[in-house]
Parts: sequence; C-alpha cells; structure tokens
Amino acid sequence: MSTIIEFKNVDKEYKSGEHILKAMDNVNFTIDKGEFVVILGPSGAGKSTLLNLLGGLDSVTSGQIIVNGNHVESFNDNQLTEYRAKNVGFIFQFYNLIPNLTAIENVELMKDIVDVDIDGLSVLDSVGLGNHADQFPAQLSGGEQQRVSIARAVAKQPTMLLCDEPTGALDSKTGVLILNLLQDMSNNRNTTVIIVTHNAILAEAADKVIRIKNGQIESIAVNENPMKVTDLDW
Amino acid sequence: MLFKKMLRDIAKHKAQFISIFLMAFLGVFVFAGVGGESVGLEVNSNNFYEDTNLADGWIYSANISDLFLDQIDCLGATTQMERQVVVDSVGDFDNDPDITLHFVENNTISKFHLIEGKELDINDGGGVWLDKSFADAKGLKVGDNITFEFENYTIEKEIKGIGYSPEYVYHASSSSIIPDFNKIGFAYLSHKAFPADAVPYNVLNIKFDGNPESYDELLDYHMGGYYSSFVERSEHTSVGQFADEIDQHKMMGDIFPVVFILIAMLILLTTMRRIITHQRTQIGILKACGFKNYSIILHYLSYGFWLVLTGSILGLILGPMVLPPLFYPSMSANYKLPSWDSAWSMNFVYVAALMVIMSLAVSFYSVKGISDEKPADTIRPKVPKVSSSGFIEKLGLWKHLSFNIRWNYRDTKRNKFRALMTIVGVMGCSALLVCAFGMYDGMNDLKEWEYTQINHYDSKLVIEEDAAQSQIDDIASKVNGDEIMEGSIEIESGSAKKSGSLLVLNETDLITPTDYDRNSVEIKDDEVSISEKMAKMLDVGVGDTVRWHIMGSDKWIDTKIDKIHADPVSQGFIMSADKLKDLDLNYTPTAIITSDHVTEDYNGVKAANSMNNMTSSWDELTESMWLLIYILIFFASLLAVVVLYNLGLLSFTEIEREIATLKVLGFKTGALRKLLLTQNLWFTAIGFVLGLPVGYYILAIMWESSGDSFYILPSISPINFLITMVITFALSILVNLMFSRKIKKLDMVESLKGVE
Repeated sequence: MSTIIEFKNVDKEYKSGEHILKAMDNVNFTIDKGEFVVILGPSGAGKSTLLNLLGGLDSVTSGQIIVNGNHVESFNDNQLTEYRAKNVGFIFQFYNLIPNLTAIENVELMKDIVDVDIDGLSVLDSVGLGNHADQFPAQLSGGEQQRVSIARAVAKQPTMLLCDEPTGALDSKTGVLILNLLQDMSNNRNTTVIIVTHNAILAEAADKVIRIKNGQIESIAVNENPMKVTDLDW
Repeated sequence: MLFKKMLRDIAKHKAQFISIFLMAFLGVFVFAGVGGESVGLEVNSNNFYEDTNLADGWIYSANISDLFLDQIDCLGATTQMERQVVVDSVGDFDNDPDITLHFVENNTISKFHLIEGKELDINDGGGVWLDKSFADAKGLKVGDNITFEFENYTIEKEIKGIGYSPEYVYHASSSSIIPDFNKIGFAYLSHKAFPADAVPYNVLNIKFDGNPESYDELLDYHMGGYYSSFVERSEHTSVGQFADEIDQHKMMGDIFPVVFILIAMLILLTTMRRIITHQRTQIGILKACGFKNYSIILHYLSYGFWLVLTGSILGLILGPMVLPPLFYPSMSANYKLPSWDSAWSMNFVYVAALMVIMSLAVSFYSVKGISDEKPADTIRPKVPKVSSSGFIEKLGLWKHLSFNIRWNYRDTKRNKFRALMTIVGVMGCSALLVCAFGMYDGMNDLKEWEYTQINHYDSKLVIEEDAAQSQIDDIASKVNGDEIMEGSIEIESGSAKKSGSLLVLNETDLITPTDYDRNSVEIKDDEVSISEKMAKMLDVGVGDTVRWHIMGSDKWIDTKIDKIHADPVSQGFIMSADKLKDLDLNYTPTAIITSDHVTEDYNGVKAANSMNNMTSSWDELTESMWLLIYILIFFASLLAVVVLYNLGLLSFTEIEREIATLKVLGFKTGALRKLLLTQNLWFTAIGFVLGLPVGYYILAIMWESSGDSFYILPSISPINFLITMVITFALSILVNLMFSRKIKKLDMVESLKGVE
C-alpha cells in the first residue's frame, strides 16, 4: 500500500495574549491509502486540532503535511478551499447538513464544487437511504442524517473521509451502523477513513490506531487483523 | 444583575442598538423640530392676527357709503366693520416703488402693528405709518418725510411709526413672486390724510360670526349686486400663502418621522427576535433558576425601552431647539412677522410616547412566544423548522435550478419574516428615492415648462396703471413686442368658488398655451380656455358654463368653456382681447412681452423683467425645496444601508453555521458571497418594485399639498428612475460587500463545534 498522508514534525501553537498553548508538539505519522484509521485520545489531547490541520481548516505553526504529494502547509486560503473540496470529505458530530435542502439535494450539492458527475440517488442508496431522498434533514432521525452526511462526503470521491466523533450524538446501536458503514467505505471502496474519537473500543476495528496525549503522539499501532465493527463488544 | 446583562448585550449588538436609538431620535427630532417650526409659524401668525384683529373678510366695492354700512350691519352675523380707502401709489424714489396706501377710518380691524415710533393716531392727518421692510430697505426713520403720488394727488407726510400689518405677512408685486422690499411697500394713514373732502372708501374690513361660506351666502342674498367681491380670510393672498407654506412644512414634518419611526420599530423587532433566539437557552437557564416569567419579559422589554425613551426625549428637546432656527432666516426673508419663535405642542410628546409604547409592544411580541414555553423546552435548542416541498419543487424545472437558487428559495420560505422586513425596508428606501427624484424632476420640469415652453419671450415690461393706450402701443412698437393683460379673477361653478388668474392675449408667438403633454393648445379668437387644474377644482369641462368676475369689479359674467389648457403655476382663463371685449369687459394691457432684451427705461413702464431675472427669482423661491430634496435622498440612502445591513447581519448570524459548513465543504468565499447576494438582490428587486407605487403616491400627496395655483402631476424621468434603481441596488451590493469580509473571517472550527 502507498502512503498518501504524511505529518512531518508538525507543531501547532495557539496564542492567547502572553500565553502560548502548544496544541500539537512534533507530530509525525503516515497513513496509507484505504486505511481505516482511528485517532484516540482524551478530550483536550489535540485530536480536533489534528483533524482541523489535516482537513485544511487551520494551518500549522511549523512542520509539513503532505497529502498526495502536495504540501498542504504551504497552501493559501484559496488553495485550501480547493484542497478541501477535492480531497476531504468531512463528517461531523452534528451532521451539519444544509437544513434548506433535501437529502438528495445535500448530496448533489457537491456537484457545485467538484467536477464529478454525482448520481445522488445511487449514493443515497449506498447508505441505505434511497427511499428518503426527498426528505429534509429535520424530517430525518439523527442516524439517517449522519448517513446523508456520509453520502455527501463520499459522493465527491475524496482522498479521505475525516470523521469527528461521528457517533457522538447518536445512540450506540445507530452508532454501530454508522461506523460499520464507514468501515465498509474503507474496505470495499478503498477510501481512506480517519475517525477521531475518545471511544477506545473502536481501536480493535482499526487498521491503524494513533493515540495522542497532550498534543504528542503517544503510540501508533497497526492492527494486522482488525475486527468487524459489528463484532466489537459495545 | 439583569440590568448588567442588558448593558453587555447592547454593547455586543451595538450596531443594531445604535441604529434603533438613532432612528428613534431622528424620528422624534424631525417631528418635533419641523413641528416646532410649523406650529411656531402658526402660533406666531395667529397671535399676530389676534393682536391686530385681522379681518375675517373683505368686501370690495367702488363706494362704500354710510347706507351700505348700515345694510351690512343689518346682516345679523356682522360683528364689527371698518372702512378703508386702499390705493396703489408710487413713492417718490428713483425706482418708483409701489406703495399700497391704506386710509383707515378707525384702525380697529387689521390694525397696524407698531415696532417703533408712536401708535397710529386716527386724528393725525399729517402722519404716515410705514411698512418696516420698506423703511429698512430705503433706510427711512421715524421723523423722515415721504411723498406718494396716486391718481392726481401728491401727498407728503411725516413718518410717525414703522411696523407690520397682518394683511402683509406675504407681500409680492404682480411682476415677481419674490418680494423685493426695495420696490414694494405699504403704508397706513388716517382717513383725515386723504387729500379730498369726500373719502371714497373702497374696502370694508369685516368681522363676523359663523363660517365664511354662510356669511358669503348671506351677503350675496341680501347685497348681491351692490358690491364687487367678498374675500374671506383664507382666500386673502397674504393669509392664504402663509397658511399654504405652513401646510407644506407640516406635510414634510409628518412624512419623514413616520418613516424613521417605522424603521426604528423594524430594526428593534428584528434585533430583539435575534437576541431572543440567540439567548434561548439562557432564557431557559434563567427560568430554571427560578426567575419569574414577567421579570424575564421585563428584562427583554427594557432593551428597546431605554434606548427609544432616551432617543425620544433627546429628540423632543433638541428638535424644536435646532430645526426652527435653521428654517426661520430664509422664511423671514420672504414673510414678515413681528416674532419668529418655535412653539411647543403636546402632539410631540404624544408621538414620542406612542413610539415608546410601540417599542414595548414590538419587544413584547418578540419575547412572548419564548416566555410561554416550558423551561425544559427552552433550555434545549429550538426544534428546526421543517421545510416542505411546495409546487415549485414538484415542477421538473426545479431539478435544473442551481444550488444557489434552490438554497435561497428555501431559505426565504423558512424565514418569511426576515424576508418581509427586508422587502419593507427596501420599499421604504425606494419610495423615498422615487419621491425625492420625482420632486427633483417635477421642479425642473415645472421651470422648463413655464419659462421655456409656455413663456418664451425675453423681456416683460410691466405697464403703469395710468398709462394711456397710445403710450402702450408706442412702447410696444418700439420694443417690437406684444401686449398682454393679466389680472386676478374669481370663478364660480355650482358651490365651488376659486380665485385664479386671467390672461388675455393678442396674436403672439411669445406665449404658447400648452396641454399637460406640452402640445400647444390653439385658443381661437372667440374661445375661452380654462386651465386643467382649475377645471378639476371646479369640476367643470368643455361646454360647461361658469360664472366669473375680475377682482375689483362687481360685474359677474357667464362664460362657456371652449378649451382646456394646462399651466404649472397659474390657474384660470386664457382668452383673446376680442373675446374679452365681446364679453363687454375693458381690455387694458398690463404688460408688453418681447423677444428683444430691453434695458431701456421707458416712460409708463413700471418694471422690465428679463426671463433671466424671472428664472433666478424662481430658483431663489425654490431653494428650500431643493435642500429638502437632497435631505430626502440622503435619508433614503441611509435608511437603505441601515435596514439592509441590519437584516443582512441578522440573516448572516442565523445561517452562520450553514455558511461555515459550506465553507468547510469547499465552497469558495466568492460563491458564498454570491449566495447571500442573490437573496439580497431578490428582496431588493421586490422591495424596489413595491416601493414605486408608494413613492408615487407620496409624491402625488406632496404635489397636491403644494397649493391651488400649482399644477404638477407626479412623474419621474427615465434617467432618474434609472438612478433610483442604481442607488437602491448599489446600496444592496455595498452592504453585501460588508459581509464578504465576515465570510472570509468566519471561524469554521468554532462555527461547527456543536450547537449553542
């Protein structure tokens, strides 16, 4: 497998007045194409910072982030926007669907930002929501909304799916369904999936587990035989 | 504690609250200011009229005998009367000024108001009491002598007093609308000063009970035929003109504040709704802590209350202090009153109070819904509104619409309130702009129409009253000009009676009567044409017969109307000299018009006015109107910016999260700006279109209130229509640009961190 994401000596500092907070301290890791990666850590460890840097929502203080051979850390605002549009599929804890658009419209919205022909209905079918295509987010349950958001993220065929606590707002049963769907995306479609969570159980289902603490990498472990999400002991 | 919270909230939303404060202040400021001015004028003039016992009416007759007096006295309604001889004289100065002399019998009605010298003494035949404006213009003082010539008399009198007269608050000569106090004046004298044994009284000042119409009827019934005309107070040139002026000011003073106050309420409403939506969970927490419902409501009511209250009070104090002194100097140049003070009316307080109450109602309306909810519900975020698919979505077309259009359509559907507010705001703006530019066009149009299209001579020589016809003919041939006759008339039809003007023309190509569309109207030698506005006021048309007489003559004539012409500034009849003679009236030319530029001073000519003089005095008269138009344009633009910015901000905050999401998903700032712009443009377009008829309507009211002699119909030129449109849309885009910085700076991470 080939490396598509690489963090090299990444530092991230936040200044608030005189005080400097080191949110990312010399972080190094690589992720291969198609990997199902789980980033674990307690709250405040720097998980979200890592995700924001990788997703192009924030820029590094020093170090390099190389995605598909491009140096993301050197991108300007416009390039970052372009990068997010082409490479990153975000999945948020609170779904962040556009409330004014129906499920299918939320998915087909991606046509406006990438040059990919999207068949909204078949994408929705792939997350099992083909029959809810014309409903508005407010008419869908949380799990269904999250599935629409996954459909929206995968529709543009991004390099990676970045999931920030994707099951945080869902009950555990629905959460498993969502995680299963994400694992399928990785296994069957060879999509790189990166999930940030504080739920350690998920580690056993991951191809790679990156644990962070106080802004530093604590450990990186590769699972030779990851379990199916559905087989985990929730 | 809650008070502290309020102050911090206000500081946080300062743009909105400053707007609310400003609009509340401006609303009351303008209302109380212009009100203070116009009420001041009214109070000052009424006091003046009261103090000097201004006549309720004037009866004009060639000779008012003692018998005539007895007969008038027998009309039950008459309470007081006094005879005068009113004659036009020429003062002995280089420029031959016109001085109207009043030889009064008692000085009990329309009394001379003394400023310096001694009071008018009815037994003093050697004194004259002179017009202050004229005395100032000529540098005359008490004790100086002054000589007048009239008819065949020359009299020299000593100036005993200088002052004002209630009949001369407005005093302009027939040749100019702007008073030139170097050229005109009036003087009061005792009847004993009249240089003949028999005093030929020709005006009877009357005070009477009851309304003027019934007095007029009574007079007509009993005395019809024995007098030439009766003028009631409101028709008197000076009184009427000044009252018209006050009315116009009042009109402006009413329209502006209504707009400001509505805007203040609009912003208050939207801001409060926004704050309350934002603080929904806070309200829940307050409730959970045990705050009573009414104290929460009171808390939110207090935001607008304090601001509107302080704004109103400040406006109440500053308005009457600041605005009247701005208007009075230009007013006192044209009108003569002994005192110019602003006045106070309880109406100002009522309006301010009404506004405060409205603000409470508006705030209450915004907070009511939330205070009714259970704390447990309020503490949780509001359940999002469910969109539904309407028929538009069912059309096949929907799927082909861009995301931009779909998103905006749905967003509008979900936020109808916000949409409505924006549309109303833009509507107000475009209505004011249409009104301002319409006035601009109207004023220009009127000038062009009157001074280029109808009257296209270069000079107008006003002939002295005693000039002989041969002398007039002589001058006319020397200057290569045409003779015309102008006069004042009174026209009656059914129950309506209006004073107007008479224009008698010979064959001339220097005056072209036109219709409203500026096509020339040919009035044949045997035809009488009535002006369109006069026809409307009297409710008559071609073929109808009206009764009329020349002012100062008691000969009433029935005349059939043959044509209708239109004129922007004078309403009445146009006919030929032959027609006038046919009607058995004397043709006495009053002016000569010529295309030559006449500078020479001919004997028998009172004044030579060039077209340039006339247009520049027109410009002078309309100066304050122009100021008003600029103010209107300024405030309309301000209004648009305030409304669009506030509502833009409101909508931006509401959809901040969505915008952040779209930004995260990879939408470019430009695309997002376009998203917001699209909505702005839709609302602007709708508001603009709706504003047009509203502006047109306000314009119509404004022209309507400009007085009986003006005839302008509301209209706006294509170029100014375009400018109005450009301004409205440019402001909309400008406001949008203010938001593009916000989009750029929008912190994506923060916006996505879970719901507040």
